Parts: sequence; structure tokens; C-alpha cells
Amino acid sequence: MTINPHRSLANRSNALKSTGPKSVAGKRASSQNSRKHGLNSAPTFELSNEYQELIDLIAGEGFSAFACADIAVGLLNYRRVMDAYYDTYTSPEPEDEFLRDMNVKASHPIFSELLSPSGSEPQDVREMAAFFADMQRQERRKGGPVSRRSSDTHKLIRYQRHGIARLSRAVRRG
Amino acid sequence: MLYNVHSDIYLDVAMPVEDKSKSLLPFLSSPKLLPDESEAEFQSGLQSLLSELDNPSPLAVALVSQLNECFWWIRRHTADKELLLHEAMARLLSRGGSNWMASGNSALSVALEHYLNGSAQTDQAALIEEALIDANLTLSDLRAKAFKDAARHIKMVDDLIHRQHQTIRHLQRSIDSIDYKSRLIKRMDLELAALESKQSVKGVLSLDDKSS
Repeated sequence: MTINPHRSLANRSNALKSTGPKSVAGKRASSQNSRKHGLNSAPTFELSNEYQELIDLIAGEGFSAFACADIAVGLLNYRRVMDAYYDTYTSPEPEDEFLRDMNVKASHPIFSELLSPSGSEPQDVREMAAFFADMQRQERRKGGPVSRRSSDTHKLIRYQRHGIARLSRAVRRG
Repeated sequence: MLYNVHSDIYLDVAMPVEDKSKSLLPFLSSPKLLPDESEAEFQSGLQSLLSELDNPSPLAVALVSQLNECFWWIRRHTADKELLLHEAMARLLSRGGSNWMASGNSALSVALEHYLNGSAQTDQAALIEEALIDANLTLSDLRAKAFKDAARHIKMVDDLIHRQHQTIRHLQRSIDSIDYKSRLIKRMDLELAALESKQSVKGVLSLDDKSS
């Protein structure tokens, strides 16, 4: 499918005028927009089946009940981080090819037409062009899919550090 | 000795190495692989690590599974470093070309990938050579420039690899502590058994004294 630059720019300009979702369902859905990996939310492992299965697994090794619980939580938490790490690695933020490849200078007549069909102020057109040029710079700076997945997974390093330290501490204390 | 893992799963220390990881809970042992990765290779790495365990208890096997995953991640990230370079090279070539808009970045990336592997078709090789001429670069110049361009992301991947090394260190320490603990328990069992046998000998002797 070929991208129509005029159509695409019109869609993006209209989207900028949006004041957000109105319905409850829309608001609920958009409240999850900034959710990346869910690692900041407090997990409740104790209620899961895996937790009980792990407790049974570890209890046979002579650990105390407290140590078993600590190790099980540590192991589940570490798995949670590594699963999020895998998901982030396999589904990085998609590239916006249109924005990356668009020719901002050549799009000035389209901006002018979008802002006001009867003729707009040159200042408005310049501002709109600057806005798109800035977005394009940001998009290009993110690089291709490998660069994106590297920087996305890089953000999870601290969760990994905490996860493994917690697990290791639980095992050694036990 | 049998360890009860789940209602119907048991781990036997005398169990063949191949079966140990399979007996673990699925969420601890099933690998998450990418479509082009070989599960057989992943499992063979795991088996070689498991075969080095002195005391393959379920927790040790679970930790070794995580250790194997770390090695796998290091492998993925190392491959990513080369891919980052290729990505930057393709980006530089398309930018150096006469037209960014119509450059067809993805086609250029694929052609470059094949060109560097030595498996490029005639039209792909021609596309790359033309792009190199357009950008006024040789292949080694392009690689050097790309390295500079991708340095920020390569540094990130190095951090990710370093993190995996740190994780491996933590896991090794944990496995060592389990191993030490089990050896300590075994030693205490032996000492207890020795004390009990001593006690029973003393008991027999005192009974003999009384009877005589």
C-alpha cells in the first residue's frame, strides 16, 4: 500500500487537535497507554499456583518455611523481569517510516493548505514544519529495529539487577 | 532420593541429566526462543551445565536453567552488536544517496545484509555499489563511519552483556551456597550417625558391665 503524504499529514494534524477520549471505556483504555512493562506494579505472587508449586519444590531441600517463601518470591519475581525483558526485546517500539522518510521542506505547501485553504500566515506554516522536523529528528535518532530494542531493553537493567539480587540474597540466607 | 516437585512430578538425583530440566515446572524450564533460534542448541547448553552439577537438587536445576538463559542472552546481544553496525551502515548509505524519500531503506538494508554475507544477488550487489559511489565511500570507510554513528547503541548493548555477566555471578554464588548447604547437611548427618553409633556401643558396653 502506498502512503499518501497529503492524507497522512492531514490525519496527523487532526490528531493534534484531539482532546482525548470521552467514554469510560476509552478513558480506561488510554489509561494503559503509558504502561510499558508493568514491572513497577506490586506483584501478588502468593496468590498464584506457581508460588505454591515452588514452595513444594523448595521445601524438599531442607529450607525453613520462611526461606522457602522468600526464595519462591525471588524466583517468581526474577522470572517476571526476564519475561518482560523478552517481551520488550521481541516487540520494540515500531518505526514510523512515514515520519522518518518524509521531506519536511517539500511538504510546506501541504502544511499551508492544511492550516487554512484560503491562505495561511507563513509563521504558522513555519511552526508546523518545525514541529514535524523535530518529530522527525527524534524518530531518526531512535534508529532501526535493533537500535530500538537495545535501548528499550536497556531500560530494564535496573529491574534485572534488583530481581537477581533479591533471589540471590534469598537463596544464600536460606 | 526423590524430591516432590508437583503432584505428579518427581526429581530423582540419579535421574539422567536430560530429564532433570524437563521435570521442572514449565515456567522455569521452557525456553522462550526467537523464531530463528534452535531449541536443540539451547537444550544442549543446558544439559552441559546440568552435567557439571555435583548435587542436582530441584532448586539448583532451576538456577542453572536461569544461568543457561543468561548465556543465551549474551549470545543474542553479541549478535545485535554486528546488526547495529549493519543498520547504521544502511542508514548512512540511504542518507548519502540522492533521495532520502525514495531510498527504500528496507530494501537497501536487505541488500547490504546479503552483500556483507557474500550472498547478494547481482542486482543487490549493484544497488550497494551504486549507493557506495553516491555516498562517495568505500566499504571500510562506511563501516568506520557506521561504528561512530552506532556507538551510543553499541554501548547500550555492552551494558546489557555486562548485566548478564553480573547475573551469572549472582546465580553461581547461589548455586554454590545450595551446594555448600547440602554438603553441610550431609556432614551433619554423618556426624549424627557417628554419635548415635558411639552411643549405641556405649549402651551395649554398659549393659555388658551390669550383666557381668
